[in-house]
Amino acid sequence: MKIVAVTSCPTGIAHTYMAAEALEKAAKKMGHTIKVETQGSIGIENKISDKEASEADVVIFAADVAVKEESRFSGKPILKVEVQKAIKNAAEVIKEAEAIVEKSK
Amino acid sequence: MLLSDEMICMDLNADTKEDAIRQLAMMAAEAGKLTSMDEYIESVLAREKTYTTGVGNGIAIPHGRSKAVKETFIVFGKSRKGVEWEALDGKPVHLIFLLGVPEEAESEHLKVLSQISRRLMNENFVKRLKRAETKKEIIEAFKDFQQS
Repeated sequence: MKIVAVTSCPTGIAHTYMAAEALEKAAKKMGHTIKVETQGSIGIENKISDKEASEADVVIFAADVAVKEESRFSGKPILKVEVQKAIKNAAEVIKEAEAIVEKSK
Repeated sequence: MLLSDEMICMDLNADTKEDAIRQLAMMAAEAGKLTSMDEYIESVLAREKTYTTGVGNGIAIPHGRSKAVKETFIVFGKSRKGVEWEALDGKPVHLIFLLGVPEEAESEHLKVLSQISRRLMNENFVKRLKRAETKKEIIEAFKDFQQS
C-alpha cells in the first residue's frame, strides 16, 4: 500500500515531527511505503508532489491545524486523525488507513 | 550542540508539571536565554492547555515560542520519582525536554529541535537517556543519535 501523510500541530515544533517519525516507523514495519510531509515551524518539508499524491492509495492527515495545499489530495480517501493519536498509536492509524483502502476497493 | 552541561538537571525535584517547567525555565533564565521568565512560562503553559506535551513513554516535551526567548534553547531534566503530566499513556514523566524558541527563530535551530523530537520516538535513544546517571552520558547519547 502506498501511503502519503501530512503532519502538523499548533506550534509546529515538536508534535509535527514526532508524529511523522511514528507514522514512518509504523508503516514500514507493516510493510507499506510511506512519505510524510511535515508542515511545521520550518515550513513544509519533504513535500508530497501532485504525482505522489495521485499515486497514493490513501492519505493520512495527522493534523491539528488546517493542512496546506489540501487540493493536492482531492478525490483520494483521506483519514483524518489528531496529531496526538499518531504519536500515541501510529500502528492503529495505519490499520485504519488499511481499512479505508479495503473499503474503497 | 544545543544541549550543554548547565542546561541539564539530573535530579529534578518537582511535584507538578508547573513546578517542573518553572525549575527548568529558571535554568534557561540563568543561562541568559530569556528576557522574561514569567512571559516565557506563560507561553509554555498556554501551549500545555491546548493539549499535553506528555507524549507517553515517560517523556514530556513542553515548549514555547515567545518574544521572551533570546535564543533557541533546550533544557533537559530528569525526575526519578516522575511528574504527573496528564500524559497520553497516563504514566508519570521522567524525562523532560523544555524547548524555547524566539519569535524570529532561525530555521537551522528549528531543524535541530525537529530532529530531537523525532529522536524521542526512538526506543533505544530513550532507553539510553533513562539509564544515564550523569550529564556526560546524556550529552553522549545525544551525540551518538545525532545522525540517525
